Amino acid sequence: MSAYLEVSGVNQRFGGLQALNDCGFAIAQGGITCMVGPNGAGKTTIFNVITGFLRPDTGHVAFRGRRLDGLRPQAIVAAGIARSFQNLRLFVDLTALENVLVGLPSGFGEAPLGALFRPFHTARLDRARRAQAMERLEHVGLADRAAEKVRNLSYGEQKLLTVARLLATGAELLLLDEPASGLAAGALDQVMALLRRLQGEGKTLLVVEHNTRVVQQIADHVLFLHQGHLMAEGTPAQIIADPALAEIYFGGAL
Amino acid sequence: MLLLQLLVNGIVTGCALGVVAVSFALVYATTRIFHIAHAGVYTLGGYLAWSLLAHGVPEPLALLGAMAGCTVLGAAIQHFLYAPLERRRATHLIVLIASLGALAVIQNLIAAVYSSDILEFTIPWASAVVTLGGLRLTGAQLATLALSLAAFVGMLWFAHRTLLGKRIRAVASNPFLAEITRLEPRAVYVTVIAIASAVVCIPGVLVPLDLGLQPYGGVTPLLTATIAMIAGGVGSLGGAFLFAVVIVVLQNLSLLVMPGEWSIGVTFAIFVVFMLFRPRGLFAAG
Amino acid sequence: MDYFYSYLILAEIYVLLGLSTNLLVGVVGIFSVSQAAVFGVGAYIVSDFLLSGTLSFLPALAVAAVACIVLNVLLTLPSLRVSGDYFVVTSFGIQLLATAVFTNWTGGTGGANGLPGVPPPDLFGFPLEETRQILGFTTVAAGLGCLAFWLSMRAPYGRLLKAIREDELAVAAAGKDVLRAKVSAAALAGAFAGVAGGVYATYMSFIDPSSFDLDASVLLLTMVVVGGARTLAGSIVGPVVLLALPQLLQLVAIPTTVAASARQLLYGVLLIAFAVFRPQGLAGERL
Repeated sequence: MSAYLEVSGVNQRFGGLQALNDCGFAIAQGGITCMVGPNGAGKTTIFNVITGFLRPDTGHVAFRGRRLDGLRPQAIVAAGIARSFQNLRLFVDLTALENVLVGLPSGFGEAPLGALFRPFHTARLDRARRAQAMERLEHVGLADRAAEKVRNLSYGEQKLLTVARLLATGAELLLLDEPASGLAAGALDQVMALLRRLQGEGKTLLVVEHNTRVVQQIADHVLFLHQGHLMAEGTPAQIIADPALAEIYFGGAL
Repeated sequence: MLLLQLLVNGIVTGCALGVVAVSFALVYATTRIFHIAHAGVYTLGGYLAWSLLAHGVPEPLALLGAMAGCTVLGAAIQHFLYAPLERRRATHLIVLIASLGALAVIQNLIAAVYSSDILEFTIPWASAVVTLGGLRLTGAQLATLALSLAAFVGMLWFAHRTLLGKRIRAVASNPFLAEITRLEPRAVYVTVIAIASAVVCIPGVLVPLDLGLQPYGGVTPLLTATIAMIAGGVGSLGGAFLFAVVIVVLQNLSLLVMPGEWSIGVTFAIFVVFMLFRPRGLFAAG
Repeated sequence: MDYFYSYLILAEIYVLLGLSTNLLVGVVGIFSVSQAAVFGVGAYIVSDFLLSGTLSFLPALAVAAVACIVLNVLLTLPSLRVSGDYFVVTSFGIQLLATAVFTNWTGGTGGANGLPGVPPPDLFGFPLEETRQILGFTTVAAGLGCLAFWLSMRAPYGRLLKAIREDELAVAAAGKDVLRAKVSAAALAGAFAGVAGGVYATYMSFIDPSSFDLDASVLLLTMVVVGGARTLAGSIVGPVVLLALPQLLQLVAIPTTVAASARQLLYGVLLIAFAVFRPQGLAGERL
């Protein structure tokens, strides 16, 4: 039986840098997998490969047994995988609700001909989409901020909004790039509870995370990347207990 | 023989536009501002030199005076336009629009002061012809060749051998790092634009010696220069210079098969070919 | 009164051009100094058909619109492939190339002398010869253009374009086809410019390259910057204000020899002033 998401033999060079080196791992459906590793280990690069933003030099990504090679980002979202960005990449001049609306699957009125020649139909369908987007905002607890421009939201609210926009795509496998970084304790707990809840609703999560407390609390499974290669995997307790990994992870700092 | 003559003419003008390209590339690589107003600085240089000559100033001093004027204008654009925009966190698009606005202001002030008709330089030695084995070269062309090559070599020496040049390249490669190591990017930006403005004045004076001055005459040279910079690979001063020469030589050779009005088409075709096949340039670093 | 009508007609034609430029510059965020080239192609196509008598006005206008849609999409395609700064080069290059074609291809454009005697517009065989009739027609055309812009902006389509302006990568990550959205916006902008060109040529009855050169493109850009990005109000205010300004300049005693440069100088000053002090223009959103 094939794994839910399977990455195998991925190599990616940038000039003189081997960003991914025979990178391979598999993820089971329904859990929260955390990806850890020192800076430059290739975590964001592998996100870019899985979601079609980078074509790797060699190697494959398969989702539900289907190869994703060469698919463009939008086709990968349609297949059921969506990702967030470490630097959020929200549309700051749009409102919170509009950000979520852009995330919803394409509908009528998103092409000019529909918008121009069937305006009433477009408006009616858009009202339905707004209701849908509002549900996503409620889901992450931002319903009361719906009409606010994103540049006026707090950092914590913006982080939650990225999750709402991600949920709007309807994808079942969510790739989150450091959803908890830079948050104060209160907002951190809010985000962790949200991730747990998403898991409970049947989503599968792959999360890049640096904070070991977060990893311990939410991860079912941990992947340890080092120099573009999967160095170890296991439960959070196993990974944290391994002195060799701790040396790599904290070696520079301690 | 005609072929050879066109080739030589192309190399001479190409070297002059190479200097435009190198000066533009220096600004672009350092500040990441697509400095459209550079075309206005180029144009102003020619007019300043013309005025100084008309007041009886000797040629070398007129060139130096014009360079001084361009330096002030370039530094003023950075200090009074680009720096405030950066403080206001203006988008990239707004900076482009402001730069275009500055170009329009410079060009049309020149047109209002000097009229928009073509002004001719009347320098006896510039129009004197030297014949070298059948090749005809004017004094203006010889001066252009010599001064352009000197300016190019000077720029290379400056960028690679001087402390300021090394600082500029450090700022260009990583403004954030430069900031935390106290290289003061903002001060460096003013210096870079000032130097590039002084340098672009040289072709700004030399090219019109043959062709005459025109207030709107800076746009096409700047277009050629920016295409050369992109084709050569941003960050490679040598590449920018080399491609300026190649493009102008091709423009000149195209005169064999089509009238001169279409040379802009040749230039642009080269650009399109590069965009389709090598969007990052031939000598792009990294 | 006729003087005021002719101002209104020109203003309405430039509203169409303002909408076209606003779509590209304000909504999608592409720096364009070549919209006057597309405008010119529309004008020359309609003039050539009418002067040769091969097509009547409305079919000629339709051909011009289609040609300008194709042209504008081709011109905008490089912006999909190369970064914003390289598109500046593309846009300047296209404008200069277009000016060279308009000035030197005497067969199709009459060269620098232009094309005189373009017949007035007609609707199904009824020529619109009086100024008021033409005003009626341009009012309908500009009104339809404004309606199309307004409908696009309030639809999910407009939201998608605004999101693309802010962050293309994030839009792609949300599963959207960025390419298709940009191409369709360029097509819409091309249609506006092509129709404006055809109406302009038949109203003026004489066209030459000076109406479609780099200065004209800078004027269009200035209209968007002064009026304001992304709003219908901005797209209307820009042309209305900027076409009135030269009339004001006439009140100041400026010698005719420098009138043209004085006008362009003013546009330059406006570009700088609005960029620095009011990037949202008079009635728009921030560029």
